[in-house]
Amino acid sequence: MIELLATVISSAFFVTVIRTTTPLLLATLGGLIADLSGALNVALEGQMLVGCLTAVIVSVYAPWYVAVLAGLGSGAVLGLVMAFFALRLKADIILVGFAINIMAAGGTVFALAMATGGDKGTSINLVSKAIPPVDLSFLGVIPGIGPVLVSLLSGHSVLSWVAAFLVFAIWYFLYRMPWGLWLRGVGEYPAAPAAAGIPVNAVRAWSLVVSGGLAGLGGAQLAMFNYVGFARDMTAGRGFIALGAVLLGARHPVGALLAALLFGAFEGLAVVMPGLFADAPAELIRMIPFIVTILALVLFSYRAQRARQMRTLSKS
Amino acid sequence: MSTMPTLAKQSRWTAVRAEVQRAVTAILVALLVTVIVVMLTSKTPFEALNTLLTAPASKPRTIGLWFDDVAKLTVTGLAFSLVFQARQFAMGVQGQVYVGALAATYVALSPLGPTFAAIPLGILAAMLAGAVWGFLPGIAKARLGANEIVSSLMLNYIAIELCNFLVRVQLREKPGVLTSLEFPDTAVFPPMIPGTRIDLGLVLALGATLLVWFALYRTAWGLKLRLVGHNARFAEYAGIKSTLIMVSAMTAAGALGGMLGAMFVQGQTYGKLTVMFEGGLAFEGILVAIVARSRPLAVPVVAIFYGYLRQGAQLMNIRTDVPAEVIGVVTAIIILLVSSSFSIPGKAWLLGLFRRPAPQTDAAVDGAAK
Repeated sequence: MIELLATVISSAFFVTVIRTTTPLLLATLGGLIADLSGALNVALEGQMLVGCLTAVIVSVYAPWYVAVLAGLGSGAVLGLVMAFFALRLKADIILVGFAINIMAAGGTVFALAMATGGDKGTSINLVSKAIPPVDLSFLGVIPGIGPVLVSLLSGHSVLSWVAAFLVFAIWYFLYRMPWGLWLRGVGEYPAAPAAAGIPVNAVRAWSLVVSGGLAGLGGAQLAMFNYVGFARDMTAGRGFIALGAVLLGARHPVGALLAALLFGAFEGLAVVMPGLFADAPAELIRMIPFIVTILALVLFSYRAQRARQMRTLSKS
Repeated sequence: MSTMPTLAKQSRWTAVRAEVQRAVTAILVALLVTVIVVMLTSKTPFEALNTLLTAPASKPRTIGLWFDDVAKLTVTGLAFSLVFQARQFAMGVQGQVYVGALAATYVALSPLGPTFAAIPLGILAAMLAGAVWGFLPGIAKARLGANEIVSSLMLNYIAIELCNFLVRVQLREKPGVLTSLEFPDTAVFPPMIPGTRIDLGLVLALGATLLVWFALYRTAWGLKLRLVGHNARFAEYAGIKSTLIMVSAMTAAGALGGMLGAMFVQGQTYGKLTVMFEGGLAFEGILVAIVARSRPLAVPVVAIFYGYLRQGAQLMNIRTDVPAEVIGVVTAIIILLVSSSFSIPGKAWLLGLFRRPAPQTDAAVDGAAK
């Protein structure tokens, strides 16, 4: 137990948590944008998975940043597909989302087999690249706190910094820019922006594209930093956890950051625990993030319901 | 006097025909995509396509495999139909299959296993476990408004890990093997046709179809459920407790999912519990339910067609160089096409292609606006 505490407080664990949080955070931000525009994006999982595979395959032939952009682009394309079917052809968006998840689960394995000439399920024979860590060791010259800063801030993926910046950027976009107001209005009460001449479907389509792109970016981080290479179903429910994190984060970018950090911390715990307790069953440890998601969802829903009840009580 | 029923009958037939047309078109488009993909990727495309389209019906053994899939697809399709009719998007069938299978396994490997009670008790235990797994997201949604999509998906992962864990530490045959002990013969469904995998599961699936149809269209509960699905607020005003209906629909669907678990492990295919035995079949119930428009009686029909395609893909995977996962792409395209109003652009184009340059612009605009 003491060892566990010591591990959790250490800076190495902090670095692990940042690593496990980054893909989740990117997907959560994607889910947030779609959700706020009134289009629930349940395809985050599939978009992440396709982002993973695209990034891995492109990174074999191109520099890492091209691969990352390709991962982003593949997710965005899937977002566009969603928008086309859900908004133009009026299909139920949840069914469209699950169709994309099913397509991603099968399609990635199929595409990988085609790209490698028959490998089933892992890209072990592909020499894929990794995202380089950001080296901030020059901070060490700061007297006193320098070494601590280096151990905490150095060595993160570029995308971790991008994700942190995106939390701010998305907050600014949503709450300080007219387009963000459009987006929230479309999600809140579509009839009003429609009457004001705002193209509701175009706003939703764009948010689905951005949402997919962010999920794809999360996939790139997962397959080019957390792990290097692709394995079938390597997202392992992260897209669905991100969906829960959107709700848990009270549909706000900062809340999304905190929720993603919470789930990232438990995933980090699941990463370090096998090293500490050799006999702890791996299956039960892998369950932790899912159980935490359910508990958090229930707790959050309970509080939200209480808040609603209080509001109606005070009105009447 | 007789015009009203006749008219109703006529409009019903038109609706059925429209649905069938839509489903067939979707399947044809999906097949076309498969053909193109196989042509582009396979070294022996004709052999692969031949396997996909003819192999399942070629031998009694493969027909057995096909109908085994049909039974399972029917049950998962029914489970999804139930929740879809109530307009709930509970995605928990996969988890229910795993907990149901675990419950059935514990019954089969208990002292009751070698007795005649093993089969009914196994199915019952599985249904109970599945019902609990379906009830949890239902009650969380009804009481707290917790999103049922997220909670049911999380329960899926938990059930899979639970199954992995119990098989590894408790039920395994010997260390290192990730399967349980073989069930005693009395706990395994007897084959309906000797030498094939067609077993009691098919009977269960057909029974479940009739039961779900009866419950949905011939009971007050079913009427309430469909009303809630059409318009929950209206149903509430009509004095229907929509939350109660919601929870009961998810619980009933959970029981079906659990039964599917028993059909897996107690069926001829396995006769034991292994890790990850379900192979993604549970989620394919979404496709079956959507193409069947959540109509219970249409579910087995769709399952027969889709099961054929699925089995063809499996055989293609074994015999040629095209991976079975290509079926995932086909599945997704069918769902996308059937659940959307896709047929309009294709129809206008076909009309223009096969007939005289028809005045189709009006119709096309009309359709697109729909």
